[in-house]
Amino acid sequence: MSEDAVRLIPADEGSWRLEAYLRRGGYEAARKAVMSMAPADVITEVRKAGLRGRGGAGFPAGLKWSFVPQGGAGPKYLCVNADEGEPGTFKDRAILVRNPHQLIEGMTIAAFGVGIRKAFIYVRGEYGRIAGRLREAIAEAEDEGFLGGGIFGSGFDLEVIVHLGAGAYICGEETALLESIEGRRGQPRLKPPFPAVVGLFRAPTAINNVETLANVPLIIGRGADWFLGRGLPKDGGTRLFGVSGAVRRPGLYELPMGTQLRTIIEIHAGGPPEGVAIKAVIPGGLSAPALRPDELDVTMDFDALARAGSMLGSAGIIVIGDKIPILDVLKVMARFYAHESCGQCTPCRIGTSWIHKTVMRIGEGQGRASDLDHILRLADGMKGRTLCPMGDAAALPVQALVTKFRDELEKAVAR
Amino acid sequence: MSEVKMVGLTIDGRTVRAAEGTNVLQAAEQAGISIPHFCYHPAFEAEGNCRLCLVEIEGLPKLDSACSTVVREGMIVRTSTAPVLEARKDVLEFLLAEHPLDCPICDKAGECKLQDYYDRHGLFPGWFLEAKEKRQKKISIGKGLLLDRERCILCTRCVRYLRKVTGTGELGVFERGVRAEVGTYDDAPIDNNYSGNLVDICPVGAITDTDFRFKTRAWFLEKRPTVCPRCSRGCAVIVESVSGYPLEEGERRVFRIRAGENPAVNGYWICDFGRAGRRDIDEGRQERVIKSASPESELSWQKALADVMARIRSVPGPERAAKVAVILNSRMTREELTLAKRLFAEGLSLDKIFFADPKPGAADGFLLTEERVPNARGVLQAGFSPRLPDLDALAASVEVLLVFGSHLLDHFSEEAVSRALAKIPSKFLFSAHTGPLDRLAEIVFPLAVSAEKSGTYINIDGLRQSFGRAAEPAPGVVSEHEILGCLAAGLGLNVGEHDVR
Amino acid sequence: MSYAPSAAAVKKIDGIIAPYPEKSAALLPVLRVVQDELGCVPPEAETWVAAKLGIQPIRIREVLSFYTMFRRRPAGKTIIQVCRNLSCTLAGAEDIIGFLKERLHVGPDGTTPDGRITLVTVECLGHCDHSPCLQIDGIDHGPVTRDGVAALLEELRAHE
Ligand SMILES: Cc1cc2nc3c(=O)[nH]c(=O)nc-3n(C[C@H](O)[C@H](O)[C@H](O)COP(=O)(O)O)c2cc1C
Ligand code: SF4
Ligand code: FES
Repeated sequence: MSEDAVRLIPADEGSWRLEAYLRRGGYEAARKAVMSMAPADVITEVRKAGLRGRGGAGFPAGLKWSFVPQGGAGPKYLCVNADEGEPGTFKDRAILVRNPHQLIEGMTIAAFGVGIRKAFIYVRGEYGRIAGRLREAIAEAEDEGFLGGGIFGSGFDLEVIVHLGAGAYICGEETALLESIEGRRGQPRLKPPFPAVVGLFRAPTAINNVETLANVPLIIGRGADWFLGRGLPKDGGTRLFGVSGAVRRPGLYELPMGTQLRTIIEIHAGGPPEGVAIKAVIPGGLSAPALRPDELDVTMDFDALARAGSMLGSAGIIVIGDKIPILDVLKVMARFYAHESCGQCTPCRIGTSWIHKTVMRIGEGQGRASDLDHILRLADGMKGRTLCPMGDAAALPVQALVTKFRDELEKAVAR
Repeated sequence: MSEVKMVGLTIDGRTVRAAEGTNVLQAAEQAGISIPHFCYHPAFEAEGNCRLCLVEIEGLPKLDSACSTVVREGMIVRTSTAPVLEARKDVLEFLLAEHPLDCPICDKAGECKLQDYYDRHGLFPGWFLEAKEKRQKKISIGKGLLLDRERCILCTRCVRYLRKVTGTGELGVFERGVRAEVGTYDDAPIDNNYSGNLVDICPVGAITDTDFRFKTRAWFLEKRPTVCPRCSRGCAVIVESVSGYPLEEGERRVFRIRAGENPAVNGYWICDFGRAGRRDIDEGRQERVIKSASPESELSWQKALADVMARIRSVPGPERAAKVAVILNSRMTREELTLAKRLFAEGLSLDKIFFADPKPGAADGFLLTEERVPNARGVLQAGFSPRLPDLDALAASVEVLLVFGSHLLDHFSEEAVSRALAKIPSKFLFSAHTGPLDRLAEIVFPLAVSAEKSGTYINIDGLRQSFGRAAEPAPGVVSEHEILGCLAAGLGLNVGEHDVR
Repeated sequence: MSYAPSAAAVKKIDGIIAPYPEKSAALLPVLRVVQDELGCVPPEAETWVAAKLGIQPIRIREVLSFYTMFRRRPAGKTIIQVCRNLSCTLAGAEDIIGFLKERLHVGPDGTTPDGRITLVTVECLGHCDHSPCLQIDGIDHGPVTRDGVAALLEELRAHE
């Protein structure tokens, strides 16, 4: 058995084909689950494995599934979050391109565990071509009886529909995603009720990230203990760390949960290019508050980053070199959130726009001494008060930049 | 029906009991604690978009919207702690940052929630240095309604109203982020009989009605409830009028009729047809008593009524049944109808008691009924069997005719009515509005409209609804109740005035 | 003006709608088919889709104006989407955008006078390890340089 068998992203080029996946031992875990396990045991095993959601929030997957009511005559749905909108993130793309069958197998196991017969994969609109390959993979799996009616000859069915988004970051937020699948504007819903109880088409719904589900066959195939051994206690498995920005080897690195951030940047991604020093690192996608160079000795796992005042988020690491003015970073950030706010709730709609306008004014040399404090105040006005977590996602990274790089920004304001 | 389960919670230290399923905002309201809010409306599910109603709920790490939080046993809610007040202030500041602040020329000024809340919870220094978004300020969205996108705070009450209440869905939200805006689909303006409610539910001055726009200021309005007289539903309405300042001394105008709240009848809504009843109160009114013999002379209704009594008395008692006739209508109150019954049917023993009402229209499946009178049930309960007169028969035998209301013309041509009346020696018209019948009558009496009266109507479902006077009648304008009471007194008939109600 | 998609598109649309528990849910993918055929979603197409899915046209307008990939007005035959989010900005996206503007003589969201190319700037394309990156008619390219972009434009011209 090659190392590829336990990797989310196999090295082998033709890895996405069914036959390649079968050679890696693919669909054995699903077979095991469907043919020999009780649904509840599937959930228990995943809970034991400490699989935390890879979409951003890090919520334990098995626990989330256990919130979906058991039994019941009505439909239940599985939604796969392949929106991957978090800037600096390109891991789900890699799974869809290189290992779609592992996602499909993970979906089959999850659906079996939760008692679901219909699943939607919400793929961001920009991944239209990739969705084509995913559909091919689904067709392959259906042809072999790994998907569709009577999976492995059992009485278990699963229908999978690929649903393409059309350009909206907010649709990665799970309830906006549901709205989008239902054919509406991607405006997040109030919680509670949580999707596990009232979700897609008002039915109980499990929502998981692509990477989360792609880990499930490993857990069922090799056991929770094996999985925990690949990561940390309570935070099992490997993680796909995407590195971009000021490094020699930008790319995706599949490493144990809890790998040192500095190791990933300096060793795996080769460190910053000649003559460049690191000014800041965003460790988990644009929404994760930036770290200063002296804060890089942190392990990349959910709890450690939360303690460091940031978050693991999507594990998209963006390295900012010292040649780039922080104001430029702030401009991109402010523009992005203003552009992507759904506009539904007051603090986010107006806060993101107001911050953007202020930052742009500073950029035009019209800054005022009070501007930075003002931006912090606006971010405070959004934090914890919006309808969905996007308010925090927009406020926290802005606050971190302004607080941690205040001296440099003061100079930009005074210019 | 199963009994409603009650839940006990604490709001601002007060013990509150609320029905299961109630949200915190409502529960607080019931306990007399008002939590400011824009987007929440009790007629729809909470949407939670304005974020003004944030409160502290013990055990939760963040503030949460009171409108969307359902009460739980033992819940501890705080609505006026420092973090809550801070959040309110910030939300108001955000809204005002994108608001045009054109209150001096805004119809809503004085009854605008944004204005009110800013006064109570805002009052921050103006921080906003950036250019506000430019938006369209005067978009016609149909039925005389105008949309001002700069004033709009995107609470989406209007959009939800048209989706959930009328089901017509003419408004939507377009674009996103700070560019998000409410609008109609190109060539599909709002077109339903309940559009006026949009003005009522818009918490700010973003949707205004050309019928009211720039006519007066909200703080001059006197607002009094009554029951809508325009169909048999009997919706609660509020009549909003100004008497005297800033109008001329002695002048009274009704500027608006709005929906009142009545869960048993209309909820929070009224139809546009009922709302347009404003015109019935103010326009085309019969202002004074006119005697055709001396049209210029000033005459009080009491004096003029003496003529009516004299004419009735001139018909010998036994002949009255054949020679005196009255035409009533179903807009009269239950009390007036009782008086009429005692006076005409019992006291004067008249046979010829008829009714002439507005013609029925089409019901719209929601509130508006076919019957366009408010008290058809009251007519039956008073013991009448309403029927239209036969004009020829009337003309052939009657010597004295009393007509209440002008709706004969809904059923007969003006020519036919003229011809018949020409043959009747004495005819008296009691009418709130001027019309073609006026010139045919010996004396025309200016009657009050229902908004100027108190009384009771019985609606289509048999519900009795009493109401008080909602607008002051002009001097000299008189109600049927007064007319009938005086007639009875003058004719020496005991109609038991005191026990009519 | 009235519009109906080609028979092939209608077949595709019917296939898309079939698995959804509520047909109005198929709105996004259906609009995509229409846009692929027409280059945009004009009002007459809104009317057709509305009737097809049993919803009001206004619901379609709401959706079209929410998602950035939908267009209500025609664009160029080829669409170049250039990413300008952080990773790409760090790698010189603004320079690439400047170069494209100069070469095509259009601003962002502009279409060349011959109607061939529309230039759009977008937020993260999810290709950050290949930044600066861009997408031409759905195909990703990156990391791109000025020369690389010039070559891509050349190739586009050759394909005419
Ligand atoms: C603004 C915002 C954007 C998000 N974008 C994504 C995304 O692109 N992909 C994703 O998997 N989760 C995203 N999430 C997280 C989802 O809401 C949700 O937590 C996740 O899909 C659950 O799956 P998981 O438990 O497997 O991580 C986003 C959340 C927010 C608030
Ligand atoms: S926080 Fe932003 S994205 Fe979330 S509901 Fe409010 S406006 Fe929409
Ligand atoms: S009233 Fe609760 S959020 Fe608006």
